[in-house]
Amino acid sequence: MKAFKELTEISGSRQNSYVSAWKDQGKKVVGYVCSYMPEEILHAADILPYRINGKGVSDMSQADAYLSRVNCSFSRCCLELGFRGEYDFLDGAVWINGCDHIRRCYDNWKAKRPFPFMHMLPVPHKIFPEGRQWYKEEVISFKEAVEAYFGVKITDDKIAEACSVYNETRKLLRKLYDKRTEDEPGFTGPEINTILSASVSMPKPEFNHLLEQVLQETQTVKEGSKKSIRLLVAGSIMDDQGFIENIEEMGAVVVADAFCLGAKNFWDLMDENGNVFENLIDRYYTHSPCPRMAGEYPTRLNFIKEQIERANVEGVILEHIKFCDLHGTDNALLKKDLEKAGIATLELERQYGPLADSGRIRTRVQAFLERIKA
Amino acid sequence: MSEDKINALERMIETFLMTSNLPEDMDLESPDMKVFLESMPEGKRTAFLTMAKDLDVRKMSNAFNTAMSKYWDTVLQAKSRGKKVVFIPFNCSPEIFYALDIIPVGVEVLTTFTAILEEGLEKYLDLAVERGLPDTMCSSQRGTVGLLEAGLLDKPDLLVNGSLGSCDPNSKIFEYMSEKFDIPALYLDIPFYHDQRSLDYYTKGFRQVVEVLEELSGNKLDVDRLKEVCELSNRATELFLEINEIKKMIPNPVPNYYNQIHLGTKLLMAGTQDAVDIFQTALDVCQARLKKGSHVMPEEKIRLMMMYTGLYFDGGVHLWLEEEMGVSYLLDLLVYYDFNPIIDTSNIETMINGLADGMFNLPMTRQLKGGWDMPNNWLQDCLYYVDTYKADCLVFTGHTACKQVWGVYRLQLSES
Repeated sequence: MKAFKELTEISGSRQNSYVSAWKDQGKKVVGYVCSYMPEEILHAADILPYRINGKGVSDMSQADAYLSRVNCSFSRCCLELGFRGEYDFLDGAVWINGCDHIRRCYDNWKAKRPFPFMHMLPVPHKIFPEGRQWYKEEVISFKEAVEAYFGVKITDDKIAEACSVYNETRKLLRKLYDKRTEDEPGFTGPEINTILSASVSMPKPEFNHLLEQVLQETQTVKEGSKKSIRLLVAGSIMDDQGFIENIEEMGAVVVADAFCLGAKNFWDLMDENGNVFENLIDRYYTHSPCPRMAGEYPTRLNFIKEQIERANVEGVILEHIKFCDLHGTDNALLKKDLEKAGIATLELERQYGPLADSGRIRTRVQAFLERIKA
Repeated sequence: MSEDKINALERMIETFLMTSNLPEDMDLESPDMKVFLESMPEGKRTAFLTMAKDLDVRKMSNAFNTAMSKYWDTVLQAKSRGKKVVFIPFNCSPEIFYALDIIPVGVEVLTTFTAILEEGLEKYLDLAVERGLPDTMCSSQRGTVGLLEAGLLDKPDLLVNGSLGSCDPNSKIFEYMSEKFDIPALYLDIPFYHDQRSLDYYTKGFRQVVEVLEELSGNKLDVDRLKEVCELSNRATELFLEINEIKKMIPNPVPNYYNQIHLGTKLLMAGTQDAVDIFQTALDVCQARLKKGSHVMPEEKIRLMMMYTGLYFDGGVHLWLEEEMGVSYLLDLLVYYDFNPIIDTSNIETMINGLADGMFNLPMTRQLKGGWDMPNNWLQDCLYYVDTYKADCLVFTGHTACKQVWGVYRLQLSES
């Protein structure tokens, strides 16, 4: 389990050893916040894309001076870390107007502690031809901004190369998820979470190499996992191993998810034939949609149903971070439709942060699992 | 509508009718009136007094309530008359629907007016949450959802959201209603920026919505009818811009109450003769007040402006501000209309462009779709309105749903 141990170390530290090594070579690191950001553009510029998170924050006093209590704790935790200087190792950041919280996180970050390079890449809120054109123009504008600021040339060949690396990551992660679906899952939920966190905070080629090793190393099944209730968890951003651990400690095993840091982020592969740039645009614009995309609820419901079937799921937990109206509202619809389809479903409102509110969550999960057992 | 329940609209119409012809010589101090006022719950009493106490205001409220009773009756009778009804948010203009013979209903205005129901609005807000909607969603739309859940409203034929991206709860509630109550929905995406490229993109989306509306309603857009609607809308705009000019006077002769009827009229009736009549009455009243030197009584001490939404859930607050503190309530963001264009009615193209431009510049859509300090955004508009209307202070009020303003109001305050 040497490779897994390494991934654990990476996911557990902000400026991990790979980031440090990257910077030691004089290369740049750029942060981002959303799965609609085409990382391949940065990779093609030999810049390391690093997904900003808010892990490890227990006091948000600096962020709370600007964002308010009705802004979600994820955006506040990220801003807190930014204000504290814990992301000062980044050479820049690119934001998406993903939701009201995160775009205001950007405004405050930019106003009070800006990176030398800060870019907003606005994404349309629905899928339609004019929206795709808009998104394409914005990605081109982002690419040009990166080229201009960092003094690099992002060629089509470089993008094609990056796309190939990223597709490899997606394929490997799907293999990882295949192991999750087995009768006796090869990985626990927190382990998966650890791997996913590492996947967005280190260079992809190295990650791919480590993940290949992990997949080879993990031949043994988790003891007792066959007796556990198989769950799918979906909802607001999830990079909190503790939350998943809490659920599994109650007698469940998480075998599938629908998170923007999980399956929704890598499920859709990119077509590597033809015009790679156009394919890149298609892949990111139409990938498994976030609840911010209006009119795409049926697609989101179907995605979850497919994952349920694929992983032989017995129950679904839909979580949303308090004040995340996009996921909260979607979850209300999903619960109605999943229950209607005979799938036991639990809705949980939570706070982002280390084991926040864990007692209440454990009690509710326990009752939910008892309902499934009955 | 199930017959065992009294439609919410019927009861609203009754209330509007009751308050649509308050006599000029009405004596609020008479024993009968005192008994009547004491019988009312406090909130409703203050709302009534806001409309009735001042004779000038009474003229405005009579015109407004008369038009409202007529408007809601049209909504109520729509189905029996074979008309389609569309629910829209406050960032979607009504004109295009009138031009297509579809009846537009603003969900926020509907929620606000249902507060006049005898049982109040709270139980419907709670019901919407009980049935799944997060309690952090906007109550100005949640009330309508609650009424639909309770079966006290007929579901509309269509939903149209005009501004995806300026407020997440505002757009998300439309997808929720669409899925929950099985109503077709159309969405217009609003870009992050405020420039020609963005307006062109938005206008294209608007044209597509118009095409789908034609299909769904079975009504073809008639250029003469569109022109008639646009001209009425333009006339209303000219009138309220004249009222805005009067607001710039120190002291301000425009009664605080006017802001409430301005919003309701603009959101529900722009493009109709009734809207023109209401604004004409309001202008006549304001001009007469200007002439005779009337203003906020006893004296204008503070010229106040709301940097975001006003307090529409409390009908009495405007009077209270006026009487208790001499506050002249100049504007709130929901009546920031100085950048509303006059629609060029030369041909169908110019009219469609003008309507799209109008929606692109609607309150909230204009100011909150992008970065707070970008050109033509929140900061710049607030500074413009404060300067133009000579406000002494800006007040921030935000619902818990308004994450996009709560997230930057401190930056905004520090720059304002």
